[in-house]
Amino acid sequence: MSKRIQSYSIERQKARWGWIFVAPTLIFFSLFSFYPIFNAFYASLFRKKLLSLKPPDFIGFNNYSYLLKSPDFWNSIRATVVFTLGTFIPLLIFSLIFAIFIMSRKRFQNFFQMAYYSPAVLSSVVAAVIWLLIFDPRGLANQWVNFALNTPGIDHKWLASSVMVQISAMMVYFWKYVGYFTIIFIVGLASIPQSIYEASKIDGANDWKNFWYITLPLLKPTTILVSIMSMLQCLKTFSTQYLFTQGGAPLAPINVITLNIYHTAIRDHRIGRASAMSIILFIIMLFFTWLQFKFSRTDEVSY
Amino acid sequence: MKKLFVVFLFVIFVSITVNAATDIEITFWTHEDPNRTEIENRYIAEFEQANPGVTIKRVTSGSGQIQELILTAFAANQGPDIFNMSIEDEYAYIVNERLAPVDFEAAGYPSLQAIYDAYIPGVLDPVTYKGQLYGLPLELTNWCIYINKKIFRDVGLDPEKDYPKTWEEMMEVSDKIAIREGEILKRRGFDFRYPYYLVSWVPMVEQLGGKLISDDGKTAIINEEAWLKVLDYMREWGPNGRNLGSPTYTNARKLFNKDNNDVAMCLTGLYQQGRIRADNPEFYESGEWMVVPFPVFENAVKDVPAAYYGHYYMVNGQKPKENQQIAWKFIAFMLSHPEEYLTKVNIVQPTVKLMESATFKSMPYSEVFKNDMAKGHIVYYGESSAKIQSLIREAVESVMLAGVSPEDALKTLKRKVQEVLEEG
Repeated sequence: MSKRIQSYSIERQKARWGWIFVAPTLIFFSLFSFYPIFNAFYASLFRKKLLSLKPPDFIGFNNYSYLLKSPDFWNSIRATVVFTLGTFIPLLIFSLIFAIFIMSRKRFQNFFQMAYYSPAVLSSVVAAVIWLLIFDPRGLANQWVNFALNTPGIDHKWLASSVMVQISAMMVYFWKYVGYFTIIFIVGLASIPQSIYEASKIDGANDWKNFWYITLPLLKPTTILVSIMSMLQCLKTFSTQYLFTQGGAPLAPINVITLNIYHTAIRDHRIGRASAMSIILFIIMLFFTWLQFKFSRTDEVSY
Repeated sequence: MKKLFVVFLFVIFVSITVNAATDIEITFWTHEDPNRTEIENRYIAEFEQANPGVTIKRVTSGSGQIQELILTAFAANQGPDIFNMSIEDEYAYIVNERLAPVDFEAAGYPSLQAIYDAYIPGVLDPVTYKGQLYGLPLELTNWCIYINKKIFRDVGLDPEKDYPKTWEEMMEVSDKIAIREGEILKRRGFDFRYPYYLVSWVPMVEQLGGKLISDDGKTAIINEEAWLKVLDYMREWGPNGRNLGSPTYTNARKLFNKDNNDVAMCLTGLYQQGRIRADNPEFYESGEWMVVPFPVFENAVKDVPAAYYGHYYMVNGQKPKENQQIAWKFIAFMLSHPEEYLTKVNIVQPTVKLMESATFKSMPYSEVFKNDMAKGHIVYYGESSAKIQSLIREAVESVMLAGVSPEDALKTLKRKVQEVLEEG
């Protein structure tokens, strides 16, 4: 009996310390994440203008029904989906290829890691400004492509055609974040025990078989992590599209949800409608986070 | 000892209270303009010296960022004491009653009417709301065409005679001046100021009899034929037409100052002269540039130049009364130097006295600007003018760049602007 009481109190003590350690993070998240989410949801139920001092009108779910009927909002969903699919798939494939390339080097591993990672350190605004200069009709992009394809004088309309401006936005994002995900893959690759490769070598497996039957399956949790992370990041993309439109690119092809939220709140002063849009984006992202949890539970790997 | 401690605390309390009562900090947010910064920093020093206990904190931001900085600050009830923006951006602050009306006594005028009398007629209308005056103009600007004479002569044109008087001539002259390497423009004749459609593009529609909003304010896009003609003109201008310019090329106004054979003409205000002088004094002094009026279409039904727009100094209505009074006093002090603003910054403060002064009349090409301004009207302003401008931009650029037909672009534009009007 006394043993049970003792273990019970130890458990309680442990739990208490657990709560103490977790409390700062919980408070932080409550203040800076949960409160803004609830506040945004609350604001989304009102017709509220950013500058007005008058009490806002309660309109229930009218902002949501307006958005679901708005062609502009559906265009933003389209632009976000196209950008996300067009960016996160190449990001996933190439970051894995670059990670394997770096890990296979015997020398200059640190140099390559630094070189690939450096664009991720740059602010998105600086990156987009650099690329705006590159994509100028008289800029380097046209010069390089025309030199490579021997097509002098062709304007590839990097920012001026609705298809090319979407591809350009994808290129900038890919360039900026491929290094970041490469580093995550490198960590995943480094955590695979060398003994497995040694055993397969004794069994006569070649590099290709090693990759397909050892590396790829054991890297599955990292691959899922990278795919979900990159997908969420792509769904939140803003600065590249914002700066492209400031640089004269047409808005509609790259009017992603975040850019639409920004315009609705800052240009149109309709904070209630912008909040409704951000709640919809939050639900979309929550769905993908749920997917991540679902896959990661069934794919735990033990060596 | 105890008594001594209480006396000590009392002295500290009194000194803090007295300091708090006399020391006032006025925050003043404005856009970057190096020429203005130089003279306004001097005005601040002089004002602070004449008004002990007052500190003016001047903060500058890029002209593209200041709108959102001020908006977010006001949304959080943390706006600055004094700010200025273009009237299209400021009007929402007036109708949402976020501003303090002009304190004529603090500003040194005997009455409110005296302020109206000091400025040219109509210029204070955009900042007059429900009988109250909410702003004093820092500058009133209209745009005309700047021409690089050397480039004209380079293609065998006489700039004094052959400058474009109509938009049709503008297209022909620009085509003659343009140098292309395949599809890429190496030199442009002229190019528009793309984001500012309300200032310079809507007047082109008005020349053909079109209108943005009906007189009763209920219907958007009047006279569709006029709109379609100007949209078609822009399609022809862009990369899918005669390829004379595009929003994706570097701003023509910035390149003009460099005199690098990049662009022969640009659309800008009197203030550009100060910037040419600062960026390229040799070009400024060379006499190789000139200014001509805003063109009109050959079959125009009205002679409408580019609209003029104002930047008005405004005062935050949520600040204490004392701050508001000092803010208006300081604004009036700055604005009591209109000739210095004109000669050092090349901006026009539209007082009757300045417009009639020898200083204004002796400014190069001031007559061209004055004549165009007399024919024009103030830019469209309303609570949703920023949104309407971006909807026009979407329509024009979809025609120029995305291959959308003028008819489809206009249909979408009309639907969206009408929705903005109906939502209020």
